[in-house]
This record gives sequence, C-alpha cells and structure tokens, in this order.
Amino acid sequence: MFQHCFRITCSVAILLLLAVWQPAPAQTIAPQNVSLNGEVLDDYGRPVKGATILIKGTATKIATTEDGKFSIDASLYATLVISHPMFDVQEIKVKNSDALQIRLTDRYLHSITGIDTSVINNPAQQKFYLLYENKSPDKLISAVSTIYGNQLSTTPASLYAYALPGRVPGLNVNQARGFYNAQTSALTDVDFFVGNIPKNNSGSGPNDNTEFNIQLRGHAGSSGQEPISIVDGVQREIYSLDPESIESVSILKDALSTILLGQNSSRGALLVTTKIPQAGAPHLSFTAETGTQSSLGLPTPLPAYKYAYLLNEALLNDGRTAAYTSNDFNAYRDGTDPINHPDVNWYDKVISRNPLLTRYNLNVNGGGATARYIVSLSYLDQAGFYKTDDKNSYNTNNQLKRYLINSKIDVDVNKNFNIALQLFGRLQQGNQPGAGSSAILGTLLSTPNNAYAVFNPDGSYGGNANYRTNLLSMVQNSGYLTDNTKDVMANLDLKYKFDNWVPGLWLKAKGNVSVQSSSLISRSKQSPVYNMIVSPAGDTSYTNFGPTINQGNSFTSTSWARYVFAQLSAGYDKKIGDHNFGAMLLYDKKTTLLNYDIPSALTNYAGKLTYDYKGKYMAEGAVNYSGYDRYKPGHQFGLFYAGGLGWNIAEEGFIKDNAGWISQLKLRATYGRTGNANIDRYGYYVYRSYFTDVAGTYGIGTTYQNSIGLAEGGSPPNQVLANVNATWEKADKLDIGLDIAVFNNHLQLNADYYHEKYFDVLQTRGKSIQLIGQGYPAENIGINRYTGAELNITYQNNYKNFNYFITANASLQSSGIVYMDEQFQQYEWNRQTGHPVGQRFGLQTDGFIQTGAEAATTATITGYALHVGDYKYKDLNSDGVINQFDVAPLGKERPIIYYGLNAGFSFKGFAVSALLQGVQNRELYINNGYTEGGFQPQNNGFSQAYEQALGRWIPESAAIATYPRLTAGTNGYNYGPLLYSNAALLHNGNYFRLKNINVEYNLPYKLIRSLKLSGIKVFVNALNLFTWSAYDLVDPEVQLPNYPVQKVINFGINIKI
Amino acid sequence: MMAKTINMKFLFYIPVGLISIVLLSLASCRKAYESTPLGQQIPEEIAFDPHDSAGTYAKRFLLTTYAEALQNNHNRVSSNYLDAASDDAVSSQPGIPDVQKIATGAYTATAANADNVWEKSYIAIRDATVFSVLINQVPLAEKLSNGLPARPAYRSEARFLRAYLYFELVKRYGGVPLLGDQIRQLPDDVQLPRNNFADCISYIVSECDNIKDSLRTEQSINSTTYGRITSGAAMALKARVLLYAASPLFNGGNIEAGNPLTGYTNADPGRWKIAADAAKAVMDRGTYKLMPNFPDIFITQAAPAAANTESIFWRQNGENTSVETSNGPVGYTTAGGAGITSPTQDLVDAFLTIDGKNIKDAGSAYDPNDPYKDRDPRLKSTVFYNGMLWINRPVETFDGGVDKPGGTLQQTKTSYYMRKFMGNFESVSGATIYSKTIHDFIYIRYAEILLNYAEASNEFSGPSAEILDAIRQIRKRAGINAGPDSTFGVPASLSQNELREVIHNERRIELAFEEHRFFDIRRWKTAETVYSRPLRGLNIQRTSSGQLSYNIVPVLTPVFRSPQMYLYPIPYGEVIKNPQMVQNPQW
Repeated sequence: MFQHCFRITCSVAILLLLAVWQPAPAQTIAPQNVSLNGEVLDDYGRPVKGATILIKGTATKIATTEDGKFSIDASLYATLVISHPMFDVQEIKVKNSDALQIRLTDRYLHSITGIDTSVINNPAQQKFYLLYENKSPDKLISAVSTIYGNQLSTTPASLYAYALPGRVPGLNVNQARGFYNAQTSALTDVDFFVGNIPKNNSGSGPNDNTEFNIQLRGHAGSSGQEPISIVDGVQREIYSLDPESIESVSILKDALSTILLGQNSSRGALLVTTKIPQAGAPHLSFTAETGTQSSLGLPTPLPAYKYAYLLNEALLNDGRTAAYTSNDFNAYRDGTDPINHPDVNWYDKVISRNPLLTRYNLNVNGGGATARYIVSLSYLDQAGFYKTDDKNSYNTNNQLKRYLINSKIDVDVNKNFNIALQLFGRLQQGNQPGAGSSAILGTLLSTPNNAYAVFNPDGSYGGNANYRTNLLSMVQNSGYLTDNTKDVMANLDLKYKFDNWVPGLWLKAKGNVSVQSSSLISRSKQSPVYNMIVSPAGDTSYTNFGPTINQGNSFTSTSWARYVFAQLSAGYDKKIGDHNFGAMLLYDKKTTLLNYDIPSALTNYAGKLTYDYKGKYMAEGAVNYSGYDRYKPGHQFGLFYAGGLGWNIAEEGFIKDNAGWISQLKLRATYGRTGNANIDRYGYYVYRSYFTDVAGTYGIGTTYQNSIGLAEGGSPPNQVLANVNATWEKADKLDIGLDIAVFNNHLQLNADYYHEKYFDVLQTRGKSIQLIGQGYPAENIGINRYTGAELNITYQNNYKNFNYFITANASLQSSGIVYMDEQFQQYEWNRQTGHPVGQRFGLQTDGFIQTGAEAATTATITGYALHVGDYKYKDLNSDGVINQFDVAPLGKERPIIYYGLNAGFSFKGFAVSALLQGVQNRELYINNGYTEGGFQPQNNGFSQAYEQALGRWIPESAAIATYPRLTAGTNGYNYGPLLYSNAALLHNGNYFRLKNINVEYNLPYKLIRSLKLSGIKVFVNALNLFTWSAYDLVDPEVQLPNYPVQKVINFGINIKI
Repeated sequence: MMAKTINMKFLFYIPVGLISIVLLSLASCRKAYESTPLGQQIPEEIAFDPHDSAGTYAKRFLLTTYAEALQNNHNRVSSNYLDAASDDAVSSQPGIPDVQKIATGAYTATAANADNVWEKSYIAIRDATVFSVLINQVPLAEKLSNGLPARPAYRSEARFLRAYLYFELVKRYGGVPLLGDQIRQLPDDVQLPRNNFADCISYIVSECDNIKDSLRTEQSINSTTYGRITSGAAMALKARVLLYAASPLFNGGNIEAGNPLTGYTNADPGRWKIAADAAKAVMDRGTYKLMPNFPDIFITQAAPAAANTESIFWRQNGENTSVETSNGPVGYTTAGGAGITSPTQDLVDAFLTIDGKNIKDAGSAYDPNDPYKDRDPRLKSTVFYNGMLWINRPVETFDGGVDKPGGTLQQTKTSYYMRKFMGNFESVSGATIYSKTIHDFIYIRYAEILLNYAEASNEFSGPSAEILDAIRQIRKRAGINAGPDSTFGVPASLSQNELREVIHNERRIELAFEEHRFFDIRRWKTAETVYSRPLRGLNIQRTSSGQLSYNIVPVLTPVFRSPQMYLYPIPYGEVIKNPQMVQNPQW
C-alpha cells in the first residue's frame, strides 16, 4: 500500500541528490577592493530590510538596514550573493564602484525558517498565522500547513479553493461541479403568518463554495465535519476571495491549533489572512488576465442509427416489438429526413467551445509609520458554456460576475495602541438560462440524438408527445434567472500594550459584523414545441406540445444572514532568563442570524499558557469552556482542552557542536479533546418537542378548501421525535510530528502522524422501530476512528541566479467505524462496524450470465428471471436468492493516498512552476443510469445511450462484454438492483492532474525603471491542463450531470507602480 | 512628566471604552429575540390549548391526521392502481414497474412491495392517538347540529381513522401490534409484540361500536362538514371488517393452522352471520341508496351536501384532471393521457351481456367478432375499448392506431385503457381537453354493502330473497335488462355455490379498480388459482379495408406462492430490531 508513496519519495530523493551536487566554485584571484553602496528592493521597489549580502567565496556578509541600504567592501569582480527567505537568491558581479540597485523577486515558496541570525539581530521573520496569534515556526508545536498567496494566484479560477488541491498534506479538495451553482429557491419555507419552517440546517449559513468538497484528514462535509473557514480571524464561509489579496492560508489540523474554537474545534480550520498593510509610498499593483475554458469529461453520445439499433436490441431482449425499421436506420444514417429522423448531437448544439474567464485586480498599498492601508479591488467575469442566441437582447448563458473590495487600515495611535479597521464587500451577480442550468444538464444527459429535430422547416422548435420541451429552447428561449448576492463585513481590531505599566501585558478586542443577502430574479418563460406531421395526402400540419408560459418577473429573497462576532482577549508575555512564559485569557461570542431563525450563539471562555526554554523545550496548554445555545438550557456548555510538547533537538549542544548542518530537528506532540456542534444539521432546536403548521392538508367541505394543518415533530413525512439529550460531538485527537531542516534550510521535511477518535457522533439508533410512528432523531451514538500520516518534503536552492524548488507531499488516510449501534446482522459480511467510515456496501458481481443453463441455476433477485448477459451476482449466503444478505463491502478497503508535487524555477526574470495532484487507492462509483443503466424511461420515451453501451453483452462478444445485456426501461436487476450498489459500477478511481502550470516573465528592471514603473510581469497559466485517470470514460471528480470540470488556459499581465 | 501620565491614562481609557461599547451592543442584541422559537414551532400547550374554546390548532391537527390516514388510491401504488397487481389489469409502464412486482411475487421482507403501508399506517396511527388523547384538554365550545358538544365527534373521527388504519394493516399482515392510547417518546420502549388476529378484529369492531353514536349523522353533514366521518361510515367499516374476518383466509383457512397471528385458530360459520348483520344494519339505516347512473357515482359529491346517495366513506380529492391525464388513452395528445393502466381481457370477459348473462353462457348475446356489442353498460364505464367514443373521436387501440401507435411511447399492453372514475367526456363536442372533475376516492359505497350482505348471508344460510334483491338492485342500476322474469339474469333457482359465483363476479365488475379485487381473491383464498393463469390482453389488427381481427395475447405471467403470499411480510427491519415481532409464515 505504500508502494506509490515510496515511489514518490524515491523520485524526490533522486531529484534532491541531483540538486545538492554542484560544481566547485572557480578559483578567483583577489583584485583590488572597492567600497560599495547599494540598496535592495522588492518587486514594488520598496526597501528590503534584513537581506544578507555575502561576498561569494569569503565569510564576509552583512545585512541590509531598515531602509534596505547596505555598504560593503568587496573586491572588483567579486560576486555578491543577496538572499532573503522571502525572495529568490540573486548573484551580482561587482563591476565597478557604482551604487547598486538590486531588485529581488518574490520567492514562490516562502521559506519560513532560515533567517541568518549571525548578521541580523532582530529579524523580521516570517511568522505562521495561527488562530488569533502569530507564531515563529521554531516554536510551533501544532500541526499546521501554510499556503502563500504566490501559490494561489497562478490558478485561473473563480474561487481560491481551486488552488488548494495538492498543495498541502491532509487537505483533500474534491471538485463536485465546474461552475458556481446559484441558490434559486429560498432557504426557508414561507407559509403562513406563523409556522415558517427553517430549511437551512447546515448551521453555517449560505456558502459561496458550491464547487468543492473540502475535507481535512478524511472528514467529510456530509457528516458536518468539513474544516471551518476563518477569514481574518472571523468565521465566514467566503471562498471567493481574490488570490491576489490573500497573504496566506493556514490549515489548522490538530487539537491544539483549533481548541480556541471550542465547540467547533473538532473540524479543523482553513485560516485565511488577507494581505497586510505595509508602510511606504503608495504602491499599486494591477493584474489583468483572461482565459479560455473547455469542458472535461463530457460523455460521448451515440449517433441516432446506433441508438435506434441498440434500442431495438433492448426491446427485443425484453420480449417486446422493435421500435425502428431498417428504413429508419437508413434515414438516420444518411440524414435524408432531418425532421422525422433527426440525428442531433445535443452536446454540439448546446455547448459552446471556449467561454472566457476574465479577472482584474487592483491592489493599493502604502502609508507611513503611524497609519498604513491596503485596498484590494477585483472583478471577475466567468462565462458559462451554453450557446446563446443573438436574437435575445439579454444574456441566457451561465455567467458569474463578481466585484470584491477588501480594505484594511492599520493605525498606531501611539506605540502601545493599535487600531486596525477592515472593510470587505462583495457584489456577485449570476445568470443562467430560465429553465435552470441543472435542469438543462439533466435533460442534455437524457435526450437521445433522434428525439426530435431542433427546428421544424417553419422555424418553430421541434418536439413531440414524448419530448415536450426542446433542449435548445430551454437553453436560448427560456428567459433567464439572475441571482444577486451582497456581502459586507466590517472588522475592528484594537490592541493595547500595557508596556508602560506592566511590560508584556496586552489587551485585544475584536468586533465584527457581517451581513449577506442573496436574491433571485426569475424572468423565465417556456415555449411550446411543435411536431410536424405530413399526412399521406401530403398536407403538412403541426401539433403543439407543452405549455406556453409567458415571461415572468418574480423576485425571491433566497437567503439573508447576519453574523456578529465579538472577542476580548488579554495576554501577558514574560521572559525570565531563558524561560519564556505566555498567558492568555479569551472570551468570544459569535451570533449567527440566518433568515428569520432565532440567532444562535456560540460562546467561548478560554485560557492558554505557553512556555519555552531557549526555544529548545516547548510546552503549551489551553482550556476552553464553550457553549452553544441550540442545546437544552443547562446542557449547553462543555469543557474542551488541548496541550502539546515540543523539543527542538537541533538546539541541543550535541547537535549544534557535532552536526551544525542540522538547523532544525523538532519533535512535537499534541493531544486534546475537541467538540463539534453540528446539531443544526439535524433540525431546529432538536431537544424541544413541538408542532408545526402544514400547508394544504385535507380539504374538508364541498369546496375542498385546502386548509392549514398541524403536525407533530415536523412537516409530514419528515416528522422526528425530539432528542432531549442532544449534545455536541467530541473528538480525542493525538498528533505527533517531526520537523527537520538541514543543509542551511535547503531541505525541509515535515511529518505527522495522527490518531483521532470521534465519539458521540450523531447517528440514528439501530433500533429505530417504525411502530412509534415518527422518525428517530440523530443521537450521540457513533464512535469513529481516523488515523493517518502526512509527509511534506521541500528542497529549494539556487545555482547562481537559477533558483529552483521542488516540494512534494503525500498523506495516507484511513478510518474505521468503532461503534454505530448497528442492528443485528445475520452475516458477518453485512456488518458495517469495523469498516471504514462511509464504506460502500453492495452486491458482488462475478461477470455475466453466459448460458441459459447458468441463468436457470444462478441465484437471482426474487421475482426476476435471469437472462444471458445479465450480471451474475454472488450469492454470499448461498440461500439461492440475491437480497440484502448478499451485500458486502465493495472494493478494496485500503488507506487512501492523496499526493501533490509542486516544482519550479526562476532565472533572470523567468519563472516556471507546475503542480501535479493525484489520488491513489481511490474507488469511483458511477451511479448514473443514463450512461450505466441502459435505456432509462424518460418523457415516456427512452433516454440517450452513450458509448459505454457498445460494450454490452451479446452472444458474439460474450467474452469481452463490459456492460450487461441491454434492456429498455429499468429492469431492477442490472442497474440499481433493489437500491443496492453493484460492484460492476465501481471503478478504479485513481487519477492525477496537472492541476496548475504557470510561466511568467518579469521584464528587466532597467527597462521598467525607464517607464517609471516598479514592475511588469506577463504570464500564462493553466488549470487542469492534463488529466490521467484509471477509468477514463468519465471525469474522475465531477459526476454527471453536474456542470463539468473546466480546463482553463489563461494569459495575463501584472503591472506594479 | 505629569502631563504625560495624564495622557497615558487617557489613552488607557480608549480601549476600555471601545470594548465596553462592543459588549454593550452585543448585550442589547440579545434582548431582541426569544430564547426558544415560539413563533416558528408550536409547543403542545398551544397546539392543544387548554384555554382555547375554539380549538383552532387542535382542529388543524385533525385535518393532518385525515391527510396522513387516508391515501388517495387513484394511481397510489407507484403511480398505478393496486388493481394492476390483480388479474384485472397490468401496468403499461416500461421495464418492470413496482406494481407488477406484487403480481409476480417479486418482493420479500427485505425488499418490501410497493403497497407496503406499515410505516405510513403507524405514522397516521400515532397522529390519531395524539389527537384523541390531547383533544380532551381542549375546552371546545362548538356544538353539533343536534345540540350535543362537538368534541366527542372530533375525537371519534380520529378513533375511526385509527381503526381504519389498523384494518388496512390487518388485511395485509394479519395481527399487528395494537398501541393503545399511549403517546410514546424517545425513551419509551417500542419493542412490542403483535396482537392476535382475533384481538385486532375485536378491537377495531369495538372501536366502531364505541364511536358510532358520537359521530355526526349522515343527515347532519352540510357543505362545511362535507368529508367528515359519519356514524354510517363507522358501521360500514365494521361490516367490511367482519366480512373479511369471516372469510376463508382467516376463518377456517388460516395459512398456518393454530397461529393466532395469521387468522382465527378455529372455523366458525357464525362469523358470516355477524358480518351479514353488520351489513344489514347499514342497509337498515335507510340513509343510503344506489345512484341511478353508474359512472356518476365517482364524480359526484355525497349527499346530503350534494346528490350522491351511495358514497359512505371516501377520501376528499377535489376537482382535478389527474385520473384522466394519468390513465387516459395516449392518443389524446392535447388533452393529455399517459395510459398507465391496461385492463386485462380477463376483466373485460367478466362483464356480463346486456341481459345479465355471462358471455360464455348458452344463449348470451355475446359475439366474438363484435365483442363489445350488447354488453353490460358498466363495461364502457370501466374500460376503454377499441371504437368507443371519447372526446370527439373513437378510441383506436388496434395496432398502429393513434392510441396504440407502437414505438417507445408508453401505451396499452392489452388494447384497453381504464375508463372508470373519469368525467363524462364521451361526446364532448368541440372540447379537446379534460375539464376538472370531482375525483374523491370512495372507499366504501352502498353497492359494496349490498354485496357484503349478499356474500355473508349466502355463505351463512344460502340463497334468500334478500340476497337476490340486493344483487338485482345493483344490476338494475347498472342498466342490465330486467328480462321477462325481472330477474336481471339472477334467477331464484341458483344454488348456494352458483350464487357465490354470481356474487364474486358481481363484486369484480361492480367494484373494479376500487382496491377490492386484489384483497377479495386473497380472503376467498382463490388467489392461487386466479394467479395460476397468464393474464391476457387483446391484439387487434386492422386491415386496409377497416376489418378488425381480434387475437388474445398473454401479457403477464403472475406468480403466487401459496400460502406465503396470502399475507405480506412484516418489514425485515421491524422484525430484526424487535425480538418480540414474529414474522409471517414462510417470509
């Protein structure tokens, strides 16, 4: 199982060996010395402090001052090596004594460690952003991975989440659809004067991420355990931030790093920090880019004559009469009768080839010593893939337009008092055809090529009794829907240091209010379709089908949310000799108001202590008394705690003295008890038994007036008993990690092992007997175990001005159901306990029934007579019947491996980077009747057939068949038998994608200077440029009929002033 | 120095002040909302308010109980009539429709059949119990038209619905757990055993007896109380329950001798007497009589609010076109018609000739070459056959006809479509679409009571004048010719066995598609014979000259495993989760 992992490790090692080997520096003769002055600038032309200047071949090195200046005595023709952890290394030959102006380029992978403390006393070191604090990486003992803005901005997409897959170990980001999916109906039912029933039980409110399932360490969103999104210290589900405005995304994985979230701490967190104001003259960065999109993983429909032939075969297999004659086949083939024998490839008709994705971003940054600001503006315009009709004065295509503003002002009132104000605003407008994009995609998947002609000779839309809507009419002639989302978030941070009274004591306050509202305007319409009939006498007549619905104009408020977050914290940092102490007290409260729910409030009272000795031994502990008010009063608060220890062995004398090439060798371990308050997923105030109004119940009276009804425990048939004992889910999490940095930090390695026990997981009890007349609620029953290992290896170095890096990560994840109150299972293979969480169970297949004798003797589903060419299911309990007792785990239960490989280089303004992301040991279940189930009944006709069906079982190709014999309509056996899964639909889900590749060129600084600019960068990058998947008839991630995943090729320019 | 300190102090107050503002604003937020949702969710003390003499919420709860308890049996079983699982019809749906799986025995305890009403019934039973218990705390001021308080009537409606639900369970599963009047919550034990068949019957019957006097009388129903359960309904339900209990399946033909769950453990012909008496009691009420025109029964509201004197217990469905559009012939594209129900040749052959004879009887008017001529008028009110007039044109169900065009369109498998329950669109000149028609589903109507009486009485004591009169009433209304001896084809000379055949056939044709046939062949224990023959349809070929030729074709081979399939299996989960729950034999 480690085979693949091992292969990656090997290849990384070989690359590293190649990289470490360098030709010996050439001997130089010491010529005369010159006294050099110079300044080091960043890509905005701002001074870089703390860069080291080394005279190559000597031990002479100095650091730049606060204003980026340096002066050094060097021999003529000596080489200066300028390095800084945030920038690529640059070598410059001293040619004369002229003042040097050295511009550094941003490093793709920020090196967090590796400040040369021998020349810099108080390094302005890059810090990890943790929850409500920053921490030097040397002292970090939690499991945290960080992605920097540079890594995000090369991905041409609508959400920063597109750039996450493959970047860090432990985080699995799976794409579910390729385009933003608008909320088109209200999140709540609005029925009567009382009795509005909240439908949104996610507990987190509206979410702009409709494209990705984000999982941390194997925890799925379907169980309410996906990581929490925190933007600038406040929990908000915002994934549409412009990558250009993001400083970093930290992924908090263990108990200690998230414990301050209290009842949300089990889930881990994505901690987004937007760019921070920097002092200096106003600097401006403008990026314009545009890309073309193309769809991946669209299925291949069969031409009409093949479809007709196969459908005849299916009907004959069913013992019915054939629907098509040889004349029909010929007409489909030669296209002589396009009206009555159409052959329309709907994918070509409806989908355009290369819709555009355009983004603009403007960042302004500057300020003085007392006040600094940053303003980031961005605009995104993503077009969908539907063809449009120029006759419409409005857009019918899918479209997403987004305007974002993020501004931050940072004011030092005096040296002890800092005020930071942030305003974030978002306007988003979506558009889609009036028939609805998902309805169109479903129809597209199911409509056969021969269903009807697109247009009749008289120009009307074609259709017939079976197909009462015309697909092209749905796309271009159904009006449009637009959705609007408005977002405002205001953030005020105050920090006061009591250094004048008690040095080290500080007080912080944070207040945040954000409001979001979404609405939908529907201007949809529907036109009838016409069937042209030519009578034997030659008269043409048209029959119309389907209703005429005039273009409407309706407005729906789809969601409204208000979040208020207030936090107060006080801390005290004290250094006594080599002992560093830190203490913090924290109170916060997050109030969420969704639509017209009663606001929910999550409150934390937390305390935290940190200690380290010389940066060698570290200890940290925190407790959090955290409560959520959707539980029964008196049972709302729980105690959560976490602690950790760290030991940096590299700081020990025996390493320092004997193995100085080791700069970091840190062992760390954390353990904690965390909580997950996801009760809102299971209902609204689940501990209360209640009654609720029900619409249109039973019309007593001769006029059948549909009166209001009343039901117990929810609206029928979703009535559920109250769960008076409901409480939060809990987890005991252990994380053991190792951080190594060697060879002057060129090679870094981070490894983690984790063991998490989730318990009190909300599940329905096994003995949920129907006699009670209501559904059983989710109760705190389940125990699941998640374990895994994560590895990240990075090597980065330079050969002269050639800077290069390679970073690889892999994570190995496994899980197991420890307890689930499973009902009694007669057979061992039916038991789910002990198997991985979410393990798919289904019937095992053993090829196809090949002979009539086999059909007569093989076990089958009650009431189904087997035919040759049917799947042969294994009768595990040998009772002669295929039923639920023959259901067993499907596929191999191996730990799943996620990996990513990111490599690149830069040289003289050129930079290239590439990201490969993949999954191993993955199983892919394709549960889609249209491509897998033969002919599905649809609109009274039969659905489209795809190339998969060509592999059907027929006697002539019995040995190589990949698909059961064809049947028309659902036969309840070969596809979705009795709603069980079927091993034949399970495929190898391994894949890897060339997720991102970026090539950029920074124009030479001299040229830029003459234009009075700080920098010009041109770039081309791509998303999903190449995909390899073990099963290649579908996309490995996005399942039909969801909007397909897009390949994007993007060009752009960045100008800095 | 001094000035600086003051300045410092001043600065110290800034953060403290700001923080206080933040906290104060939060504190003031809290007051705007209640701590538990009073408006969105209704607690028990409001739903059954002990101070509300109007009982507003409580009456709403009863409406939901009605809606949950009474299913709309039109196209109920996966869009089909349950009768499509008997020998009267097959589904036109492609593939293997769920309703067909019932006829072919393609169901098990683990894969329940599409008519598995277990969970649904117990949900509604809970509703009925909740209402009948909690209504006692509501001081309802309302009075019935006879001046008595209305509360017992409402309470009895809920108890009637519960009794009806138990009977719907018993006729499918045998004895089932009777839950009594306890409202169970999460901590309560629900691992309850099944009650004996005999206990269930006597419980249902005693409930009917207990409530019949507190329910509204039929005569007191007006346009606003139309649809509420009446005393007559309670008595009619009792008659039906006792008829089932007296039937061979439970009374003497118990599929597992000695098993008290699956039927009586003894045979007692006296049960037929009790059943006959219960039916007679309904007849003797005098409030019900047969409607003059057969097709109007199903599209007319009941008396006294409207003209229908036959309807006793029904589900309110209101006006719509759903029966027509789901089951109408498929060629009426403007009106719409999915033709989902294909009645069998077997059903068509069961209809009499116009003079009350069986088509196979010697001297009947039946002509195989013109098979629909001179037939029982109920035939054309029950099925569509080729050539019958419907919305301005004859129905065409010959091969290639507009209502049976071939190809992939869903269409009849038998050359017949179901006509019953539809509005009278035979000769709607000019109109091309269906107009809305009353589609209340009648569970019990007076014709059934007459047939129940005839059957029970014949079984207990053999032919009698009352029995003949009951059947003749039905045939007369159907439009059968009285004949010279005014027997309507039912001569007084029939033996008990011959009369049984007549009654059984009369039930089949009179009550077709009303969910009787499916259960009748089971309680008569004739299902093993009925399902042993392939179900037949008709293939009609039309020559270019318009000549029709009729060929009988098999359309479905049913499967009936006797005695296993006489009762449904208890859902597997209920048995495995509850050690006290005993499965039905052979499942």
